[in-house]
Amino acid sequence: MSNKKQQVSRRQFLNYTLTGVGGFMAAGMLAPMVRFAVDPVLKPQKAGDFIATGTEVSSITNTPTRVDFSYEQVDAWYKSTVSKTAWVYKDEKGDIVALSPICKHLGCIVEWKKEGEHANQYYCPCHGGLYSKNGDNVPGTPPLAPLDQYKTNVKDGVLYLGEIVPNQEVK
Amino acid sequence: MKWSYNDMEMYVQAKEYVDTFLVPFVPFSFSRNDEDTKRLALHAELMDIFVNEIEKQYKGRIVLAPSYSYLLDGDYNEEIPKLNGYVEHAKDNGFKHILFLTFDKKWKKRDSKLHGNLIWVSAGQTHDLQSEEAQNMIRTQIDQVMELITTYWQE
Ligand code: FES
Repeated sequence: MSNKKQQVSRRQFLNYTLTGVGGFMAAGMLAPMVRFAVDPVLKPQKAGDFIATGTEVSSITNTPTRVDFSYEQVDAWYKSTVSKTAWVYKDEKGDIVALSPICKHLGCIVEWKKEGEHANQYYCPCHGGLYSKNGDNVPGTPPLAPLDQYKTNVKDGVLYLGEIVPNQEVK
Repeated sequence: MKWSYNDMEMYVQAKEYVDTFLVPFVPFSFSRNDEDTKRLALHAELMDIFVNEIEKQYKGRIVLAPSYSYLLDGDYNEEIPKLNGYVEHAKDNGFKHILFLTFDKKWKKRDSKLHGNLIWVSAGQTHDLQSEEAQNMIRTQIDQVMELITTYWQE
């Protein structure tokens, strides 16, 4: 398995790395700071990639239920397993809706409350953000936008989730 | 938020919402028996899992500090002023809750000398962090720590 072309000397490697880091920092400074880094809509993810969640579509009800799934991701430095969560339910038409749990305020994870003070809403534990079932942000709480949602797909009765897009349920 | 460029970019624009500073303790030592060395390293991995998960859930309110490392066989009384210095610094800069997270029992009896809140968690006897049993246990413990953190927020 020797491949001469792929061998990079230590000095070369450092050169690459340092150039890379310099370029990266310059880019960082030039980039307009309009949106926060938490915004998952901006995260690059190949369009059309769908991940099997292992959740049977027949088990999805009209109550939002937590679905966890994971996949391998490779970036410039690490290969890592990414775990994702969605709140999944069927709307009145029977269509599947999968909302991202990432709070649009500052990125904490929201939870669907079945009972108690915030029953039938998504609640954010960080600063009390609230969203209704379709992800619409409740006025007077910190978030200023509805929860994002995943593209959904069904294959062999199993739910597949794709890239995260802005909410389309809130009309 | 992590101690990273992107997260600090978010922090500087939202400081008033970020009031909690979480400091993980990661002790090390090579002077004990081999099992202990391995166990300590495992605890470091476990700490990583804990704080990453907590940071993910509470990203908008917590800053995760770089881990605090020290010698397991060192003099803990020397660490205390340093840690209290962290607490003062964080408080002076707008943080209200300074939390120290540790698996190290030896901190328990020094709890009252620390000006931050010490959260001690039992690391258990796990060797294999991937086993389903371990994962369930870890999940439960992480949930407990997260719940504890919300009780500080309600004070
Ligand atoms: S991060 Fe959710 S309300 Fe602030």
